[in-house]
Amino acid sequence: MVEFKNVMKRYPNGTVALNGVNIKINKGEFVFIIGSSGSGKSTLLKLIMKEEDPTEGEIVVNGYRVSSMRRKEVPNLRRSLGVVFQDFRLLPNKTVYENVAFAMQVVEALPREIRRQVPMALALVGLSRKANAYPGQLSGGEQQRVALARAIVNSPSLLIADEPTGNLDPETSWEIMRLLGEINQRGTTVIVATHEKSIVDLMKKRVIAINKGIIVRDQQKGLYKDEDKNSPIHI
Amino acid sequence: MKIRTARYIFKEGFLNAYRNRLMSLASIAIVMASLLIFGTFFLLAANLNSNLETLKEQPEMQVFCYPEMDEAQIANVEDAIKKDARIKEYVMVTKAEAFNKVKNEIFDGKEYLLEDLDESIMPVSFIIKLVNPEDNAAVVEKFKDMTEVENVTYASQAVEVIANITYWVPLISGVLLLALLVVSMFIISNTIKLTVFARRREINIMKYIGATDWFIRWPFIVEGVIIGVIGSAMAFALMWLGYDAVEQKSSLAFAGIGLSIVKLLKFNQVASVIMIIFGVTGAVVGAFGSFISIRKYLKV
Repeated sequence: MVEFKNVMKRYPNGTVALNGVNIKINKGEFVFIIGSSGSGKSTLLKLIMKEEDPTEGEIVVNGYRVSSMRRKEVPNLRRSLGVVFQDFRLLPNKTVYENVAFAMQVVEALPREIRRQVPMALALVGLSRKANAYPGQLSGGEQQRVALARAIVNSPSLLIADEPTGNLDPETSWEIMRLLGEINQRGTTVIVATHEKSIVDLMKKRVIAINKGIIVRDQQKGLYKDEDKNSPIHI
Repeated sequence: MKIRTARYIFKEGFLNAYRNRLMSLASIAIVMASLLIFGTFFLLAANLNSNLETLKEQPEMQVFCYPEMDEAQIANVEDAIKKDARIKEYVMVTKAEAFNKVKNEIFDGKEYLLEDLDESIMPVSFIIKLVNPEDNAAVVEKFKDMTEVENVTYASQAVEVIANITYWVPLISGVLLLALLVVSMFIISNTIKLTVFARRREINIMKYIGATDWFIRWPFIVEGVIIGVIGSAMAFALMWLGYDAVEQKSSLAFAGIGLSIVKLLKFNQVASVIMIIFGVTGAVVGAFGSFISIRKYLKV
């Protein structure tokens, strides 16, 4: 599903954001990427989405060899991904329904597919009744649920969330995480970059910890802090 | 491309142009002005070209007698021409020939205007070719001084000047067109940039969702083409109205200054060429202008 082989990323200004990264994430997994700001988690996600290219190494996502892919094929890769951001990135002049439908129009879906899929996605995130509202009329949590609906409406096999709860209060955050878990239950692979200790600890999923561009821990059913006190690095 | 995609693209293109209507109008005006300036030069060049050949065949000199002169007086003039050693050859244009020429060349299709008139109003004239063109001025003076002669015209100088202009005008209009196109493109690209900027979030989201570059680009290109084509259509309409007015008055004006053989082209003779040039230029300038402005925002 997602595979990094010896990936190194150096930005033009000389900063090495990732170094010697080897990861393998299988279909259907739920993975937390944790680490402090500037640790390299965002770079990792950007490399998966091909927003950035690795300086060295090889990346394969959903069968696409991302590291050596031609620009023309990038849309195909992105269509196999769903993305959720910290700042929601909804279109303020479109209704909730239109925001979700937009994701399908852009990939030239059939109108009847759009009419079928959009209500299903909205129902999944519990926003059927707000379909005609505008993002400005919604709370932060609701907006992020719209973004979630938009991310899954094209049935991607991989969902990437970059600090999806960064702008939300704990209760709402938990609601979003619960939804991500539900989406994962339906077979979608989910990768979440986060700081939320309590949620990571509660969900007990695979945890990949990054510090200064290096993977310091990759643990099934992990917690936010490493329990193994003998581990050389604590996060 | 799928039909619904095409529909989406055109709808978005028109909407963009409308939402941004003040700048769109400004751009349309610039395109229109540029094409009008170019069109004026283009028509000038076309007319010069079409008339140059006729002017070149123009007699070196034409001596017009007063219309009321009788045969003896005309014979007198002919005699003077015959005896002049500087004159290589001459042809007499009778009243009937002159009348027919006017009827066919100036009043073509409007012969009814001449119904009450006959050849008697026309002068007898002599078309003269000189042995040596340098004698031009002296010969003109000599015949002008004859009491039977009303006027002497000669066109060689005019031909030279016009030939000169005909050489330069297309060059100038070419350079002008290029400069105006660059300006128009810059203005359109700026207009589109405003739209692109206003919609950068949308573009960004579209990129993440997996829209192809062309899917994102097309609406903006449509917007640019709309601006370009409206501008060129307006330029065409104005050109048509303006030129028609000039052309209708021109034959009388030219006849008034003794250049009755100079005839402007009718607009419909050049309309299709102008329409194609304007249309293609407008569309290409618009498309290219928007292409430039969106390039930056596609890199996500």
